[in-house]
Amino acid sequence: MRLTLRPTLRPATNNGSIFCRRRALGCLSLLTGLFSFISFDLLQHSQAQSSSPSKEIFTDITEKAGINWRHFSGESEDRFLIETMGGGVAFLDFDGDGLQDLLFVNGGETPHGKSPVPVRNALYHNLGNGKFEEVAAKAGVDRLPFYGMGVAAGDFDNDGFPDLYVTGFPSSALFHNNGDGTFTDITDRAGVKNAGRWAASAAWFDFDRDGYLDLVVTNYARFSFDDIKKCELNGLRTYCEQKAYSGMPLTLYHNNGDGTFTDVSEKSGFANLIGRALGVVPIDVNDDGWPDLFVARDASPNLLLLNNRNGTFEDSAVDADVAYDPRGLAKAGMGVDAADFNGDGKPDFVVTNFNDEYHSLFIGTSSLLYTDQTVTSRLAAYTKSYVGWGTHFIDYDNDGNLDLLIVNGHINQVVETTRVDVKYEEPPLLLRNDGKGVFRDMREQAGSVFQSGYRARGLAVGDFDNDGGVDAVFTRLDGKPVLLRNNVGQNHSWVGFELQGTKSNRDAVGAKITVRIGNRKLVRWITAGASYLSSHDKRVVVGMGDGPTSANVDVEIQWPNGRIQRLSRLKLKRYHKIVEPTANEPTGGKRK
Amino acid sequence: MHQLFYNATQDNSAETHSAEGRALAKVGNLQSAEAELRKAVASAPGKAEFLRDLATVLAMEKKLDESTSYFQRGLKIDPRDFVARRYLAANLWQLHRYAEARQNLRMLLNANPGDPQALLLLGMVSENTKDYATAAKTLASVPTLVRAQPESIAALARSYYHIRETEKARAWLNKLQNHAAGVRAVFLGVQIADEMQDYKTAEKLLSSLAQHYSDQTDLRYRLALVKFHAQQFEESRQILQQLIDDGYKTSEVNRLLASCFRAQNRHEEAMHALQEAIQLDPANEASYLDLASILLAQKQISSAMELAQRMAKAFPDSSRVFASKGSIELGAGDFTDAVSSFTRAAQLEPASSDATIGLARAQANAGMPEQAKATLDSAIGRFHEKARFELELGQVLLKEAETGNKGAEVRAEQLLNSAVAHDSRLAEAHYELGDLALRRGQAARALIHLEKAAKLAPSSAKTHFALSRAYRQLGQKEEAAKQAALYDQLKEKETPRAPDPSSDTPPSN
Repeated sequence: MRLTLRPTLRPATNNGSIFCRRRALGCLSLLTGLFSFISFDLLQHSQAQSSSPSKEIFTDITEKAGINWRHFSGESEDRFLIETMGGGVAFLDFDGDGLQDLLFVNGGETPHGKSPVPVRNALYHNLGNGKFEEVAAKAGVDRLPFYGMGVAAGDFDNDGFPDLYVTGFPSSALFHNNGDGTFTDITDRAGVKNAGRWAASAAWFDFDRDGYLDLVVTNYARFSFDDIKKCELNGLRTYCEQKAYSGMPLTLYHNNGDGTFTDVSEKSGFANLIGRALGVVPIDVNDDGWPDLFVARDASPNLLLLNNRNGTFEDSAVDADVAYDPRGLAKAGMGVDAADFNGDGKPDFVVTNFNDEYHSLFIGTSSLLYTDQTVTSRLAAYTKSYVGWGTHFIDYDNDGNLDLLIVNGHINQVVETTRVDVKYEEPPLLLRNDGKGVFRDMREQAGSVFQSGYRARGLAVGDFDNDGGVDAVFTRLDGKPVLLRNNVGQNHSWVGFELQGTKSNRDAVGAKITVRIGNRKLVRWITAGASYLSSHDKRVVVGMGDGPTSANVDVEIQWPNGRIQRLSRLKLKRYHKIVEPTANEPTGGKRK
Repeated sequence: MHQLFYNATQDNSAETHSAEGRALAKVGNLQSAEAELRKAVASAPGKAEFLRDLATVLAMEKKLDESTSYFQRGLKIDPRDFVARRYLAANLWQLHRYAEARQNLRMLLNANPGDPQALLLLGMVSENTKDYATAAKTLASVPTLVRAQPESIAALARSYYHIRETEKARAWLNKLQNHAAGVRAVFLGVQIADEMQDYKTAEKLLSSLAQHYSDQTDLRYRLALVKFHAQQFEESRQILQQLIDDGYKTSEVNRLLASCFRAQNRHEEAMHALQEAIQLDPANEASYLDLASILLAQKQISSAMELAQRMAKAFPDSSRVFASKGSIELGAGDFTDAVSSFTRAAQLEPASSDATIGLARAQANAGMPEQAKATLDSAIGRFHEKARFELELGQVLLKEAETGNKGAEVRAEQLLNSAVAHDSRLAEAHYELGDLALRRGQAARALIHLEKAAKLAPSSAKTHFALSRAYRQLGQKEEAAKQAALYDQLKEKETPRAPDPSSDTPPSN
């Protein structure tokens, strides 16, 4: 059963336009002009509460939004490493009402870390008025039969409703979105249990371009609650370093298109890629139209898996100079994101690492060789003392330059007794890109959250109030998450895209969007996965600063199946729902 | 008139004290002799002969500094007193004031080119200052005098080894087998041969004692030591095991046995042997230090920390113990405690460069880079091993430069260049200069330094990694792949396997 329309929940906006729900075609206006037949204009909905001016860039609205769920790690004297690693968060519009909802994945109990109340996930339904309602139990996603870690939201069956893959230990689960506000656990039927493994991040991507989202799962380490590793510092039990745990191979599931998956880890070569993998982002690195993968690994070399277009992948991380630090040491890679940071049209990568290692910034060049610009970008200076987790390139002020949001937090409380410059609870970082490849720390302007310490882990971004300013949410170990409303993004010009594949996967994961404004070219990709344990709003917002008018904004979309489509004269400050043209429709472009 | 009478009286009194002093010295009563001679000098301070006699007695009493100053005073009055100058040179040699010793010996030899005593001393001074060619030539010119003392034979043999005249070195060491000094002379020969890695000669000298040296267990221990140095670990271990089986259980034997086990990667047995050594001689800190070193290398951090606490209690005044404790704390990520331990180590032995470098590293890791820089800056002025400290400070500054301090990078580069100028064998300094060039995109320049570093430290994984990056940046893919493969091999050796669940592992910090 599908959700029924609830127009009374949609307040009129300042400009008088009426917000339209997806698939409610009656209230979607057809674009006029050359490409009107392929593009729907999703009218801009701007919620009243988000337009109020504020001095800070991001405001913590968690409490105001009614989000009071808490993460539970099961921390105990046993000091199981898993207690330090969770949990994930997803922005997704699970009920198709055009508003981004939130799913939080909880951890679980450990042999001596018991919860006084049942450990539950939370699914917060966005009510559209700045408030959220917790509906996990009603939706059937509140309980997990395993210790929960992360989440990847993606419409694997192309039915228009995002499904959920929830990772954990010693198994993971796939929840099919029934389209009526509920989910069904179809893990066993689908064959994606990932049994016996400690899974961390997962990402949906269509590696064989057959139009169905496949699934890559990063598995962290060989682990058992029966295997207690003892480490002490200053007489206190503490967590042993990650190298005490052997790494695991990645898992790759091929979507058969019939609701089932085939484990192709062996066939693809993933089974041989053993290491402590935590973060993953699919992206077309070499611009051949096929999705590749960057995998961030913890004290194991990072992987850059190039898609051989035949179901196998080749690791080119060493050749690309992204596997190790300059001394040949594998950093403690946790989160990862990919985007065109420097505006040259090629994907760059950010990887979060441990304190003293600095989070890494790898910039693409004309060849496959990347240059490490961690130091020159000043990322090293800003991240020296932090243990980083979730991260995302985000153009928070919509000036067209991708900035960087990173959440941090140490894993050992005892660290504060061993050194003077590292804290257990660490602030998130908002780093502004000056357009020349150098970051500036915005903590003074970013808001009080950026001056407070947290044990943050998962980070997801999404525009929950549909105002074009990309908002963010991060999870906290054993704490309440933090929902941040963007107060500045809507002040600049922007254009938003919600792509819907037809021949390509419906989420259009892997699509490349190129926006031309005069001489400036802005390239964005739809990347499922990325960050750490988390899943973002799949819509893309392209900021344009103060300059452009709709007359000179041209767009090229390279769909995941390689087809190229060109659009022009898009209206600004609104989301455009663009449906992939069918084979017979003209696109204005060629196939890649 | 009155004045003349007074001086004559003084002279008579001084002569009397001098004569008395000499007589006492001849019968070995040095303390009384010194007192009489002091009275003589006090009565006639301008008389060179009295000054020389007092200086000679003081030298016999090993009061070398004071003796030296009296010789120097006497020689100012009578510069042609060759005996006094020879004794002065001997004093200066013993005081390691080699340049002054050499200057006085040259004066003697200018006056009397064949002076055999002066030649002997000049040979010894040259050997001490590593001028082995001069040492060999000079000592060989006075063979009779050299033959008289095992130490001078040792000096000549060592010099021959250094100038690669091995057969001559062996011939001189062989003379020690029948030396009047007996077993002591042979052991000195063994020591020289062992030190110069001529293990066959060392063993031959030891075997010459097989028939008539009463302490056969000591002989076997020494043989095991030579075999250990010759990297014949299994043979050494067997000798030591046999000694233990025969009831000759000592701390030293167990320590050497532990070293054999360690060299054979039998770490558990090594630790067991060291625990035995500690039980046998709990007052010997060396066994604790060896055990701590193994525990740290094996990343058995909890056990190492426990041992560090025990060591610190047992040897509260040992710099080496506190330096070891600091190293363990560094390994454990307990940086602030490491700062305290290394501070204590440096206080106990201000001349310890290891303690000072450990302190700087601990400070840098504890988030106190300013203190680390101050420690190293001050050490550069204080220590002879400038290059080591320049390298260390360069590394701290490079780390600082990574967070955006351009000035730090400039100074780091200067220090690293200075370090390689002071000691061109510092592989790490070449590596850092290569890495710096790579960071700046100067791959060709990086190659020059990195290749030097690889030559000096061929098993450094990170150097081969940097070389692979440099070649890749230069488009030399094949060479890059070769270096990357080397890196993989070396890295594999460096990386310990994930420990089994029962062993303790380092904390994450």
